[in-house]
Amino acid sequence: MGEPTGFINWKRTTPKRRPIPVRVADWHEVYEAFPAVDLKHQAGRCMDCGIPFCNNGCPLGNLIPDWNDLVYRDNWHDALDRLHATNNFPEFTGRLCPAPCESACVLGINQDPVAIKQVEVEIIDRAWNEGWVTPFVSTHKTGKRVAVIGSGPAGLAAAQQLTRAGHDVVVLERDDRIGGLLRYGIPEFKMEKRHIDRRVEQMTQEGTEFRINAAVGDNVDIDVLVASHDAVVLACGATQWRDLPVPGRELKGIYQAMEYLPPSNRVQQGDISETTISAHGKHVVIIGGGDTGADCLGTAHRQGALSVTQLEIMPRPPDVRADENPWPQWSLVFRTSSAHEEGGERVFSVNTDRFVGDTDGVVRALVLNEVELVDGKFVTVPGTERELQTDLVLLALGFIGPEKKAWLDQLGVALDARGNIARTDEYATNIPGVFVAGDMGRGQSLIVWAIAEGRACAAAVDQRLMGSSTLPTPIVASARPMA
Amino acid sequence: MMRVCHLDTCPVGIATQNPELRKRFSGKPEFVVNFFEYIAQEVREYLAQLGFKTLQEAVGHVEVLDTRHAVTHWKAKGLDISPILAVAQNPYQQTLHHSVVQDHGLGNALDTQLLTQCVSAINDATPIQLDLSISNVNRTVGTMLGSAVTKKWGSAGLPLDTISLRFTGSAGQSLGAFLPNGISILLHGDANDYLGKGLSGGRIVLRPSTRATFSPQDNVIAGNVIGYGATSGEIFINGLVGERFCVRNSGATAVVEGIGDHGCEYMTGGRVVVLGVTGRNFAAGMSGGIAYVYDADGLFESRVNAEMVDVVEPNAHDASWLRETIEQHVRLTASPLGAEMLEDWANAYVKFRKVLPRDYARVMAIIDQAKIDGVSDEETSRRVMEPVNG
Repeated sequence: MGEPTGFINWKRTTPKRRPIPVRVADWHEVYEAFPAVDLKHQAGRCMDCGIPFCNNGCPLGNLIPDWNDLVYRDNWHDALDRLHATNNFPEFTGRLCPAPCESACVLGINQDPVAIKQVEVEIIDRAWNEGWVTPFVSTHKTGKRVAVIGSGPAGLAAAQQLTRAGHDVVVLERDDRIGGLLRYGIPEFKMEKRHIDRRVEQMTQEGTEFRINAAVGDNVDIDVLVASHDAVVLACGATQWRDLPVPGRELKGIYQAMEYLPPSNRVQQGDISETTISAHGKHVVIIGGGDTGADCLGTAHRQGALSVTQLEIMPRPPDVRADENPWPQWSLVFRTSSAHEEGGERVFSVNTDRFVGDTDGVVRALVLNEVELVDGKFVTVPGTERELQTDLVLLALGFIGPEKKAWLDQLGVALDARGNIARTDEYATNIPGVFVAGDMGRGQSLIVWAIAEGRACAAAVDQRLMGSSTLPTPIVASARPMA
Repeated sequence: MMRVCHLDTCPVGIATQNPELRKRFSGKPEFVVNFFEYIAQEVREYLAQLGFKTLQEAVGHVEVLDTRHAVTHWKAKGLDISPILAVAQNPYQQTLHHSVVQDHGLGNALDTQLLTQCVSAINDATPIQLDLSISNVNRTVGTMLGSAVTKKWGSAGLPLDTISLRFTGSAGQSLGAFLPNGISILLHGDANDYLGKGLSGGRIVLRPSTRATFSPQDNVIAGNVIGYGATSGEIFINGLVGERFCVRNSGATAVVEGIGDHGCEYMTGGRVVVLGVTGRNFAAGMSGGIAYVYDADGLFESRVNAEMVDVVEPNAHDASWLRETIEQHVRLTASPLGAEMLEDWANAYVKFRKVLPRDYARVMAIIDQAKIDGVSDEETSRRVMEPVNG
């Protein structure tokens, strides 16, 4: 603990966001630089708890008190080591993770928690800038071949761990760039894509082979892949979106978030000059109040939407924890992301009844009702029906599991009751030598769970290939957040 | 959860005196009740899983422990822990739990006799003086008697010397432990460890047997840890004693003629006078109270653990207190050493060194100033805590 009374001396602060008119005019990340002295104080607020609940709040088991202390003492190299000891990609989590560690921070019982995520991202950003992050090349080769299908955070973490353990690892990505949802789902203003490129470059130098445009079931045969590798890791995510089967769904102008976000990201990548679905000059309605909805919101504003309304079926969360949601659980409170701050209206406790189109079959409005939760079910409040004018509807309703592609049947891999890939606690599917990591086995989740799964799955694969493994296993496959 | 109970930074306001942090305490007694109910519930569940009705039934049944995680844990690699997990042989089918009541022999304790003899003193404060012999099988003498006095008279106890116990012989351990106001013990002979442990206002005087031919200041007369945790009262010892003299003393006055190592360790209050040589590590962790030590060989400072204390010259105020205290020591014990010092007090006095804990001195100075300023207790307390609370 850097400063025993740090949490008394200093209040929680986080970096300022750039002024809204400035930041919506570009696509860069929204945060301003954080003064070094402020960061030191924030790290100094950590209390070095005897039992640091943040360690458990984070599925990666990040050694948070350790690196907070090291940052406070200006010992950045050791801080980086401790950070990388449990987390392959802190530059991703430091930007994208909703920080369950902070919900579990002991200081959060009665004060604002330590700004853990800020310390994390500052350590890794500084390390990259100073050139401290270098390839970690294995000194021996096992000669074992492992294929990882999918290059999202789970696949990348598994691949990096296995490559470092000396295996020959190839990552197959069906899209034209590495990163999965990180690449084409997450907007640039939340995480600039250069962070992925930098990490992929490190992994390439470590010996991980990347194959883009390699779509299993399309131009890659799963049987050949399994036969030609000692182990295969399935890490294709839970990309099957939830739809909204209400009257008028077939109208033009209604898109899934994951139809809308990728072309916008391709503009940032320089592939196309204009997105194929633009919110410019439109009244946009986003259905779904989660993170993906917020990503659509920030994107729509940057494209020049006339108005944006975000609908959520759940009631507005309280501003402070409710009694039935005590520390150290994930805090269910009203959060305002940078995208929310930039404008738009958030409407809670509403359900979309139907879409209304014009004569050309283009959506012009949607009809919604207020709902209330009665015994766990949403019930329409009579007399609350109203129409909302819109000419672009974005569906951000979550994901229901992996896409059920034919190659999964061909492989013969079993599914669990929720439609995810069934597996043991050691990430093994019913097919010998085939493992599954991340959302594909867990269902939609957070990036920290994906990386934790990738790491643990790598340990399981290494164990199978070598008979023993010293790779860490942060979580078993059945581990779930405390609820 | 925090492990900072010693730092006064408890963030939930429990283990702290800092008013700012205490404001953060949000607990309720009901939470503790809940917590223990949950523990009890969980214990019952585990017992049920194991097939036991009570905790007592479960005691000693090593065979039902799930030891896999302990044995396969990486830290246990290379360890054979089977001997400590072995099921004990029980050829006579004895119970595995406590089932025979232990006889502590309290009925045979000397205090049982004292309680009978002192009935009127306890009930009516009628002074009584008893002359008794004592031996080392008599342990914790005076404690049950003291308990009876405290029950009747509360912490104020009885007037000095209401119950005067005069013993001859070798006392067992813990002579006069927790002795309250109004009971005095005079022992001619010697004593074991823990004399005056937890002393709570009583007086204990220890002097050599009247038949002794040795010089008291050169001979050990009692054991270790004398005056441990004493809160008030007086101890006068005409002779040398062992280690850890007056450890954790918080308010008693004690006079002795020489001690072993670690004297006044963790002392927080009270006053100690040593008329002869001390062992090493004197005043380790001593945060309060004052010790006066006669530096016969000029090497006393080398035996002090100076982490928390300063060794200084006594002032005039100290001098008069010291003289009065030694006079009393001589009066009560007929100490030849004390008498000798008083005879040539001017020369004896200059050899006394005063051991004063630094923070204690600072706090006392603030309190003295606060008295001069005539401020409230609350303000005084605030001034005292200001440097730590901010």
